[in-house]
Amino acid sequence: MEAVWGILPKTVAAALQHHLPSCRRGIEEIRIRVSRPLEVIVDGTARLLPYEVTKEDGVHLLNKLSHYSIYAVEEELKRGFMTIEGGHRVGLAGKVITEGGKVKAIRDVSSFNIRIAKEQIGIAEPLIPYVYDGRWRHTMIIGSPQTGKTTLLRDAARLISSGTGRIPAQKVAIVDERSEIAGCVKGIPQFSFGPRLDVLDACPKAEGMMMMIRAMSPDVMIVDEIGREEDSEAVLEAANAGVSVWTTVHGRNIQDVWQRPTLGPVMEQKVFERFIELTNIPHPGSIRRILDAGGTVLYERAVVHR
Amino acid sequence: MKWFGALLILAASTWLGFAAARLLHERPRQLRQLKAALRALEAEVMYGHTPLADAAMHLARQTTAPLSELFERFAAALCTEETSAAEAWEKSLRAVWGKTALKQGEFEVMKQFGATLGQYDRLTQQRQIALALAHLEREEAEALDNQARYAKMAKSLGVLAGLLLVILLM
Repeated sequence: MEAVWGILPKTVAAALQHHLPSCRRGIEEIRIRVSRPLEVIVDGTARLLPYEVTKEDGVHLLNKLSHYSIYAVEEELKRGFMTIEGGHRVGLAGKVITEGGKVKAIRDVSSFNIRIAKEQIGIAEPLIPYVYDGRWRHTMIIGSPQTGKTTLLRDAARLISSGTGRIPAQKVAIVDERSEIAGCVKGIPQFSFGPRLDVLDACPKAEGMMMMIRAMSPDVMIVDEIGREEDSEAVLEAANAGVSVWTTVHGRNIQDVWQRPTLGPVMEQKVFERFIELTNIPHPGSIRRILDAGGTVLYERAVVHR
Repeated sequence: MKWFGALLILAASTWLGFAAARLLHERPRQLRQLKAALRALEAEVMYGHTPLADAAMHLARQTTAPLSELFERFAAALCTEETSAAEAWEKSLRAVWGKTALKQGEFEVMKQFGATLGQYDRLTQQRQIALALAHLEREEAEALDNQARYAKMAKSLGVLAGLLLVILLM
């Protein structure tokens, strides 16, 4: 959180201090839009603060984010987000410059969305009996957006790379295309992980997985949101190379995943041995079901009827 | 006693002449250094994607005083103060300029250059650096010309003016 206060313009920081003196801990998002009121999302509810963001605030924020060097964040401006110290992510929107039909950069950035990263250390621990039996099983985490897929994946990475009392630490390779799992700044992960962890930051997944297999000989490979055809191929390749694969997929349940044409090869070959379905009821990160490769339900949360 | 005074006058005027000549020598040397620094900055921008503050620290290490102080001040201003890069640059320029042998022409070039720092993508930044380099090149040619023309003259003028004064007063 300190890193976030460091980059906010003084005026915006003062407005936040003034209007939200008590609930600074619960801040999930700070949305800064030029010439519109400041928006803060605290504990799931949005609040508009009576402070209108000026153009100077926007320029200042971008200066701070880029360390006064736009040329150094070209790649980030192309992707539309950047990761700052502490693993927090800042999404950007504004006028897009294209070249040959492709996005070249965002100029005149007018909207900033600062998403405060929160670590949930320990949330993957209850999963251990389901996904570990002498080796870490190929696991797919299924969930809609905002159900805590990445958070769970991150904690799994921490758990596997640091080991537990009985399970020794294993070599973990993260291919972090969107800098979301490890939240790297200059290649160094900002979240807490175990010692046996290597991260390929901002690397395209399919290519990165092959690079990691060749270069780092991982025991467990962790990637976020597979969905493209080449991703499936790389997953197959990794699984056949004897590397356990952990990944997340968008979807409500396992049936949704079967429907995805690009994931067809992976599903038909029954690569994944465990499927974890997440839901955001009653809160993000709640596990609904755990299934094995045959579709047998290993765990189902009792649904509370009211 | 008379002779002692005459010697003193001669020594003083000779020293003045040599000092003027040294300034004329220093200016092209410092301009060369400034150009080298800008080229290094270009490499940092194009290939290293280094943020300005870090790049300025590297430049400060590569150059000698008084130019190194310019980059040191700039890096420090970026890290600590809440200003724009252009403002920080101009402030550091003003603080250091008096200690250099550089003139108003170069000052304007560097000030203009500072206004573009960190505001653009890599290619545009490179063009701005090239532009500043071209201007500095011109200033350097002029400075070298001045040096060739006046440096020797300044030295001899110092000695001769001293002699003249001595003869007149004797």
